[in-house]
Amino acid sequence: MKYGDKIIYMEGVIVEVHDGCVGIDLKGRLGYLKIPMRMLITDYPLVVGQEVGWNMSFIEQLGPEANEKYVSNHDACLKRQKEIKAQNGDSEE
Amino acid sequence: MSISAETAKEHAKDPAVLCCRAEAGITIQASNLEDPAIFDDLVDSNLLNLDGALKIEQVLGATLTKTCDSLTPLTADVLEGYKAEEEEAPAAAPAEEAEAAEEAPQMKAPAAAAVSGGVMKIHIGEGKDIDIELPVGFNGGAAAQVELPAGVQVPGAAPVKELEPKVVRSVTRKHYQITEVKRGPETKIEGTTLYIREGIEQEAIDSQELVHNLKIDIITPEQYHTYSETIMDVQPIATKEGDAEIGSGVTRVLDGVVIMVTGTDDNGVQIGEFGSSEGYLDENIMWGRPGAPEKGEIFIKTEVTIKEGTNMERPGPLAAHSATDVITQEIREALKAVEDESLVVNTETFDQVRRPGRKKVVIVKEIMGQGAMHDNLILPVEPVGVLGARPNVDLGNVPVMMSPLEVLDGAIHALTCIGPASKEMSRHYWREPLVLEALHDEEVDLCGVLFVGSPQINAEKFYVSKRVGMTVEALDVDGAFVTTEGFGNNHIDFASHIEQIGMRGVPVVGMSFCAVQGALVVGNKYMTHMVDNNKSESGIENEVLACNTLCKEDAVRALAMLKAAMDGEEVKAPEKKWNPNVKANNVELISKTMNQTIELVANEQSLPMSQKRKEKYD
Repeated sequence: MKYGDKIIYMEGVIVEVHDGCVGIDLKGRLGYLKIPMRMLITDYPLVVGQEVGWNMSFIEQLGPEANEKYVSNHDACLKRQKEIKAQNGDSEE
Repeated sequence: MSISAETAKEHAKDPAVLCCRAEAGITIQASNLEDPAIFDDLVDSNLLNLDGALKIEQVLGATLTKTCDSLTPLTADVLEGYKAEEEEAPAAAPAEEAEAAEEAPQMKAPAAAAVSGGVMKIHIGEGKDIDIELPVGFNGGAAAQVELPAGVQVPGAAPVKELEPKVVRSVTRKHYQITEVKRGPETKIEGTTLYIREGIEQEAIDSQELVHNLKIDIITPEQYHTYSETIMDVQPIATKEGDAEIGSGVTRVLDGVVIMVTGTDDNGVQIGEFGSSEGYLDENIMWGRPGAPEKGEIFIKTEVTIKEGTNMERPGPLAAHSATDVITQEIREALKAVEDESLVVNTETFDQVRRPGRKKVVIVKEIMGQGAMHDNLILPVEPVGVLGARPNVDLGNVPVMMSPLEVLDGAIHALTCIGPASKEMSRHYWREPLVLEALHDEEVDLCGVLFVGSPQINAEKFYVSKRVGMTVEALDVDGAFVTTEGFGNNHIDFASHIEQIGMRGVPVVGMSFCAVQGALVVGNKYMTHMVDNNKSESGIENEVLACNTLCKEDAVRALAMLKAAMDGEEVKAPEKKWNPNVKANNVELISKTMNQTIELVANEQSLPMSQKRKEKYD
């Protein structure tokens, strides 16, 4: 990576707490992160509204090509969601 | 930051560098010197040049002849009255070292593998040249792999008195071969064909409120190139014979077929959404890992759909596992009903042998207990079943002692959390390599396997960790292994377990996936013996099922390292950054000393690439 060593301190707010993951809004509307519990270090019970901090960097593309494996997985997911939507639509009618 | 006299003593042979500006004429003391632990980074970034620097032991007490700025290496031209470099005279060597030398007559470990400069470079061959530089600089737990010391034999392990090994209990596994799986009017085993009852899906769905749909796919080797939702678990199909409990008696197991749990929620979101392994099965499974299927096996794959939004809540993944178990249980009943003994293709007996007089060791296995899919069902009635088991989260994640045979007999039903490459599937425990190696090693006395959950909150982590320490103390062991799966906040308690055991004077070897991405978040002075479970080419967690889990090659290294540690031998400090050559060197060293070949398992590079990608390359 060209800028891999640029470490920036970031802060965010916990906006979702589940048994297995939390959702975090980055302060300043810089995005949203959803991470599994084990990637979060906690000293206190988790509640919505707690502030969190971490170091991160900018995200860089690794190359111009799309990885076919991920494209096909993504397509499969979209297709499935479409099917589910159609099914749900049928059942509602 | 200046260092204390004690630190100066520990680093006596390291270069002396001023920590802050010092006036000419002062006498150099420890408080004038910088901590050598930070030098590597400074040298890498060209802020420091250590050429000609004297050693700390040489400069203490010498007089500075010139006023120098901070971070100036102390060289002969700025000092007066420094000690000449000590000759390595035997008389001058500390007594401890001399003793150690006598005790360890084996060959010396070879020099560490070539350090690739200050930066580890990863090359991704995707047509373009992309070089990634990944600094992994933590003090205390950087690239958590260390050079193995010389000897692997345990000379001190010879029994004082001639004590007979004692077989405490045994488990016999009867293997039944399955070559075909079909649907039929009832679930039964005929010869080598397994029939699964048509319509059993509905019963599985009805058994769990949260399960909205369940589909069974029978995947034969010809169908490996099939899209699948994320693989949640791989389980053996086994049952106890008669009234036998897990860990003793006779177990019947089907060969050539495994249960595979997969699923999504109503909205098509993968259960275990993070780093999930959905995609073509043959591109996402690291064949032959202890927790993964073998090539050639038939998968009975359930695709469970659970209520929307419950994929990350505790009841969700559990419901998917429980619904699948309705099907597995019916197969178990059919397996129990088989009367034809001629169908048994192979019988294996596992003896739990206690070896009094040998070095007593315990294996501490840290399992996930943060909640939801970070959970495990402990000690079900049937191997890898659901009924009768208690989730370790409900047990408060406190340590639970198990016999090695219970572990190998399906005592753990893993709900297997995130990170497909490093999670331990239920099948992993069924074939756990470290338990098997330690159990069969005649030089050690394996007293048990201690399971401890990894809770979410730090205070709880330290609570359970202290119980681990007390338990190990009460066991009076000579050595301990601590293993963990995956990486993340579980490394906090992993480090704490090692500290709790180490501070009681028990040598301990830690095992985890670390490499580049899973580098430890914390470290302590007892974390000196570490084995890295990484197998991936670039040292990262990938989507390939079980790629980075503990394998035989890791178990062999850990066992050799613990034996050396129990014998009081030092292990080389880890290199600053992850270097796969350390593992290669260790393996070579063990092969030579033990005079046996250790075959290394393949990694994700051995799997097929998608057709389109292949075309691009050709």
